[in-house]
Amino acid sequence: MRDAIARWRDELGDTYVLGVVRVAFGVLLFANALRAARELQDGYFGDVFHWPLLPENLVPSREVYGTIVAVQVLLSALVVAGHRARGALFASAVLGAYVMFCDRLQFHHNRWALFCYSFLLAFAPCDRSFTVGTVVPATRVGPMWAARLAALQVSIVYVASGGSKLCDPDWRGGRVLYERVALYGQNAIDAGVPEWFMHWLGQTDTTSMLAKMAIATELALAFGLWSRHARILCLWWGLWFHITIEGTSRVEGFTWLTLAAYALFCTPDVGARKLYYDKTRFRGRVYAHAVALLDWFARFEIRPWTPDGIERGHTIVAIRRDGVHVTGIHALAMVVRCTPLLFPLWGPIALATMFAKPPLSRGEADDGVV
Amino acid sequence: MVDLSPHARVAFAVLWIATQAALIGTASRRSDHIFGFRMFPEASTLEIVVSRMTAQGPAPAPLGEWAARDKEGQLRHFSWRDRVHDPILRSLDTRVFASYGVDTQLARLQVALDDVADHIDGDDETRWLRADVRVWKNGRDPYTATLLSHPRVSR
Repeated sequence: MRDAIARWRDELGDTYVLGVVRVAFGVLLFANALRAARELQDGYFGDVFHWPLLPENLVPSREVYGTIVAVQVLLSALVVAGHRARGALFASAVLGAYVMFCDRLQFHHNRWALFCYSFLLAFAPCDRSFTVGTVVPATRVGPMWAARLAALQVSIVYVASGGSKLCDPDWRGGRVLYERVALYGQNAIDAGVPEWFMHWLGQTDTTSMLAKMAIATELALAFGLWSRHARILCLWWGLWFHITIEGTSRVEGFTWLTLAAYALFCTPDVGARKLYYDKTRFRGRVYAHAVALLDWFARFEIRPWTPDGIERGHTIVAIRRDGVHVTGIHALAMVVRCTPLLFPLWGPIALATMFAKPPLSRGEADDGVV
Repeated sequence: MVDLSPHARVAFAVLWIATQAALIGTASRRSDHIFGFRMFPEASTLEIVVSRMTAQGPAPAPLGEWAARDKEGQLRHFSWRDRVHDPILRSLDTRVFASYGVDTQLARLQVALDDVADHIDGDDETRWLRADVRVWKNGRDPYTATLLSHPRVSR
């Protein structure tokens, strides 16, 4: 246990991906501040019924609140730009929580989660990539403890959510889902969801099964995300779980917040995989350019190579972390696994690779050949 | 931002996890369960009907609107929605989805009743406000919960 704590406390890693997470949080903070500004235009919450956690004399006046909202907009822009980003994240989290404490009617899980994640990320060196107009340190390698703690917050949310559902007989038994379908099923049909599907969804057996699946998913994600072997499957399953929720419920930015937080589970390195392409082929250049555009986490080192004689040469050859060379569907699976926009496709493609010809081993091709 | 020393990192993490655990573990004790990360806790609906109690007895306030005389005997108009802007609590006399569950909405409604009762200066008739809430908890047969504001001091 002591060793595990020491490893977590002292871990160093490339902080490139933390920059991506920071930008995503910054965009969500910006959206949150804009929402507050729009609501302020309709009226100040302190002038009407509100429910503060703090003593009423600590609730800001209309003028002060207007300043707070303006500052929140500015801070979110700093977070996105990476300029004094950690301080801006910290201040955004503190100000956001303060406003929530001034009126608990404004409490939403997604907002509270955003402030929690932002607060934790402020302690991580997330300002060494994706920055504008600021000097970054010579090395991106930095301490990962706060990023790991923010990742732990993802699990905390899942445990709390899944655990509360598990303890609730109405949720466990499917009654809550059944009633949600009964209430909103017609909306889904109106939006184009097939009627037969909603009819199937509205069966008590179906909702009972789905409720158990949802609870199992949340609890499995809480722990599975920390398993090296199960992580990629959990990330993919969790992605679709949240996309499904996004499509069926109003959750403000919670889907995008959680998906951004998923990036905290990336191994903290860059270019650990290689992607070689045949620059003499148009397709090779297009594929390489596309991967470079989508490789937000810098998972690949992308380089042109000289065509070889293996199976009349390959347009693309990827080299996994373990040094195994892969082509065709195996390379495709690797690319979709590592690129956020294509990641939703990873599951079926990874399944298809199980039925495809095995990848090339290191003995069949090496860096010199490809 | 200050980079914490190794010892401070451990203390910070322990404090953070303990705080989250405490907030989640005690969410049930807060009437609106905030900070508990209980997503989609219910699929309940409710219908709020606000009325008021006067010296002459109960008086309806359809859609949260009513007229009452002030100290000078002048008839004045009052509206629940002038004070309550929350999208659920302002929807009176109609069935609405109880976001975050019935407990949360009833807790908010109780505070709203007290708040409105404190802010209807010029209504010299209303002694307290009353809300009869028809609740369909997760689609079960409805029951009615009745909430009263605190008595208005000057009445």
